[in-house]
Amino acid sequence: MKVTRRDLLLLGAAGTAGLVVTPVPWKLLDDVSIWSQNWPWIPQPTRGPVEVKQSFCTLCPNGCGMRVRMAAGWPVGVAGVSSHPISRGALCPLGYGAHQLNWHPQRLRTVRHRANSSSWGEARAAFAKACSEGRIAIVDGQPGRAASSVMKTFVQKRDGSYRVALGPESQALAPYEIWSGVPAAALGYDLENAQTVVSFGAPLLDGWGSPGRFTRLWAERAAGMADPQLRLIQVEASLSGTSLSRTAARAWQWVPVRAGAEGALAAGLARALLDEHLVSVSARGPMPPLTVAQAAEQTGLSTGAIVDLARTMIARPPVVAIANDGNPAIAALNVVLGAAGARGGIVRRSKHAESYASAEGVIDSARAVLIDSTVPWDFTPKTDAEVFRFAAWDGGSSKADWLLPAPGFLEELTDVPTAPASAVETYAVAPSLVKAPPEVQSAAQFLGGIDPASITVEKIIHTRCDDLFRGRAGTLHGQEATPVAKVESVQKLEEQLWKGAVWIGEPPRSGDFRCELKEWPATGSSARVVNRSSVNWSRAWLAPVLPPLVSKLCQESSLREAPERRNS
Amino acid sequence: MTTARTTVVLGLGLAIALLAGWVAFPRALYVQRHQPLEFLHKTHAEKSGVAECSQCHALRDDGTFAGIPPMETCAGCHSERMGTSKAEAILVDNYIKPGQETPWLVYARQPANVWFSHAVHVKRGALACAECHGTYGETDEVRVYEQNRISGYSRDIWGHSMSRLRRAPGDGMKMGDCEDCHRRRNVEAGCLGCHK
Amino acid sequence: MSARYGMAIDLDRCTGCGACMVACAAENNAPPLPQATPRTGLTSMLVRQVSNGMEGAARREVFIPIMCMHCEHETPCVSVCPQQAVEVDKATGIVMQMPQRCLGCRYCMTACPYHARYFNWWDPAWPAGMEKSLNPGVAARMRGVVEKCNMCHARLHSARAKAAAAGKREIDPADYIPACVEACPTEAIRFGNLADENDPVSRDAHSPDAFRMLARLDTEPKLYYKSKEAWVRELAESKSGRGPEVKHG
Repeated sequence: MKVTRRDLLLLGAAGTAGLVVTPVPWKLLDDVSIWSQNWPWIPQPTRGPVEVKQSFCTLCPNGCGMRVRMAAGWPVGVAGVSSHPISRGALCPLGYGAHQLNWHPQRLRTVRHRANSSSWGEARAAFAKACSEGRIAIVDGQPGRAASSVMKTFVQKRDGSYRVALGPESQALAPYEIWSGVPAAALGYDLENAQTVVSFGAPLLDGWGSPGRFTRLWAERAAGMADPQLRLIQVEASLSGTSLSRTAARAWQWVPVRAGAEGALAAGLARALLDEHLVSVSARGPMPPLTVAQAAEQTGLSTGAIVDLARTMIARPPVVAIANDGNPAIAALNVVLGAAGARGGIVRRSKHAESYASAEGVIDSARAVLIDSTVPWDFTPKTDAEVFRFAAWDGGSSKADWLLPAPGFLEELTDVPTAPASAVETYAVAPSLVKAPPEVQSAAQFLGGIDPASITVEKIIHTRCDDLFRGRAGTLHGQEATPVAKVESVQKLEEQLWKGAVWIGEPPRSGDFRCELKEWPATGSSARVVNRSSVNWSRAWLAPVLPPLVSKLCQESSLREAPERRNS
Repeated sequence: MTTARTTVVLGLGLAIALLAGWVAFPRALYVQRHQPLEFLHKTHAEKSGVAECSQCHALRDDGTFAGIPPMETCAGCHSERMGTSKAEAILVDNYIKPGQETPWLVYARQPANVWFSHAVHVKRGALACAECHGTYGETDEVRVYEQNRISGYSRDIWGHSMSRLRRAPGDGMKMGDCEDCHRRRNVEAGCLGCHK
Repeated sequence: MSARYGMAIDLDRCTGCGACMVACAAENNAPPLPQATPRTGLTSMLVRQVSNGMEGAARREVFIPIMCMHCEHETPCVSVCPQQAVEVDKATGIVMQMPQRCLGCRYCMTACPYHARYFNWWDPAWPAGMEKSLNPGVAARMRGVVEKCNMCHARLHSARAKAAAAGKREIDPADYIPACVEACPTEAIRFGNLADENDPVSRDAHSPDAFRMLARLDTEPKLYYKSKEAWVRELAESKSGRGPEVKHG
């Protein structure tokens, strides 16, 4: 019996017909379609229980309350905390992408000595050698923390110098320290009680202070209103061809001054206020050297406009002027307005602050300079000393001899002292929510390794909680607001703080500080051209990189200019 | 060629196809995998007094379902060996002591884009565990985990019956099976009601 | 029982900070896409900066958040989809996009009058390790499918699970707040149930300053905008020829 072609064909036909009534074709179709939807290279989210923990954003000194959703120990989402009395549930656009920062491609993971890879052992040896050979200077970007205390103690023991690199909100308060003797760190703006705010280029609605503070005040009292309770006057240079800054676009009144002439305008306004007797005699401050006409020439506004602006400014008191940098002319204007030490103006929020030496000057006679990871990347120390720089992300070229990987976002325990410009003292504890990778170390830990006698950050925080409890002052804002006087024990207070509560001090009293100013300060050419780029978020943002989703916001929309560094 | 021969050849072809399709194919399609250790539900329930499914397979307060309990739950009693079984030895030595989660093979694992809420189905829908998962939990059966070589999912999703006919309750967890039950009970869901 | 979820966006309050855009991207596992441009990006929530076209002291600018309008009447994307990958949910009024069902023809992107739909030109990828930060409530998509705002459905899922676990039939409105609404520091974007006349969003929708985008198309969007400024309200019909979009970079 030969097997013929016909046999094979019949076999094939029957086989095919038979296959159709088996699961094979149908199951294979189904399985292949599922296979094609499950490519292994598409990342999948973690499975597992999600818990919500509370801490504070530590990427700028404002310390907004932050709720973090965690899955399998990793942060998978963030949101604000509405019970936080200052941030009131808001976060800035950078905060919303912050939980991804620790995996940014520019994350620093190894110690670098100039261009080469090195180790912590070598860095420690080099620093210890420097300590034995000369004086040490330390630069801190966020003074007032427990870690700051560790750094200060270290240099004090060795006759070194402790300096701070402050952001623009704090710099603007520096002139008052000279005129009143009260440290700038004890001062703030009482915006909650102001009715007219004149900003000289400060981006109050876009990256100034905690976004939940002034932006919310403005939203509640001014947005969309023809006659707002809070009058925001934005003095800002008009650069043709570019759009308005967000604050200028939303302000009640925009005053287009010539770039660099903010100080001249402040002088002109003070002159108008004094000449026209618009301010009370007791608040009479020093006479500015410019006449209104001279100010008009420098600013590009007419004399009439300047006088009108002066009248408008004091039409709805309390009024306060806010500078975008340390320009003393605007501070002097506040003295003339009577805002220094008054309700709605510059107020003293604390009795216990200290004066800081600025890191902007030349750091001479130092053998080594240590820069904490809280100092913004673009800070370059004016020194010839050996520079040890701590940072969690690499911002590109820098003057550092040693680049030391520091803990990143929410990777270390820290505390949150009062935010710059705040009208009341606050204190909070930001627990670490994410396990730090083994290769990182903070400046405070590093110094602790050199000097075994130094106290740990955790102990200092414990002492501070103790002090707060014994002070019996202020209120604890957790799920509810409890006066400290009613808190039963220091353990209860600490427990609340560790869970995300915020301590807030007594409201400031007017008359708590006074400025003496005999002569109008020399303006110089210190007033910088206001940065009008729409990348106008907090200049106090510490990391040299943006969260990847914020870079995405710049690249995939026209909303903000793309910064130089991309997220790839 | 004779009709008889034609019939034989056709019959042979048909027989081969049917055998290949119904017998060989299911065997080849699935790879047999075993759980990391043999957990005997009935014996465990009797010995520990844990009689309700929900005591270990718990619903959390926020409405999410714990699924197979985490190692922490087992460690609540088994931080040290309590008995003499080989399975417990594996549990304690390989997982509880080193602090590793036991890599259970989940029969009902659905793709990542599926959102199934046990809270909604068990509490609001008053569905008994056995209706979807069968009575496996009341026995000492340790089922083999049959994994589809192509899709990667458990055989339980298509169901043991390759033809998807004459199935036991709970056999089959494809989207069509969910839709059938929803239709029977007249509960609308909409696409994103069940998908992420 | 059935709701009609919608939003009221107060353009007088929007400062264009972009927090809503970032929060939306984070919630929905949007990949960073270093290679994307404004034409090829994935911005389910997009804020546009529009001026009144004038210079100097007369210049006014406004920021307009645009996302899926969840149209109710002859929903354009639903009517063109060959795959039925998008439909209007009867229980919530949300226009639900199923990327897993989409075959990527992009007909819906053409049909949408608001340009609120985005295509995955690339497979999503993150820098090494960053996938650990993905939101477990939202599935990842692959290249070749369209996606858009789904009103943060993951949050609705959590709210439903929580209500069911507590034995309740209805969700607690405080448990279902979309990411953009939660992120907005000025509360410019408000979310609520348009079917409930006592809901503040429902009341905002009926205010004299409220308007909808391209209302003449009769798509009945469920996103209402509000502004006291007439030139902003005029932008909605896109007829005046004024209001060029401000572009940077």
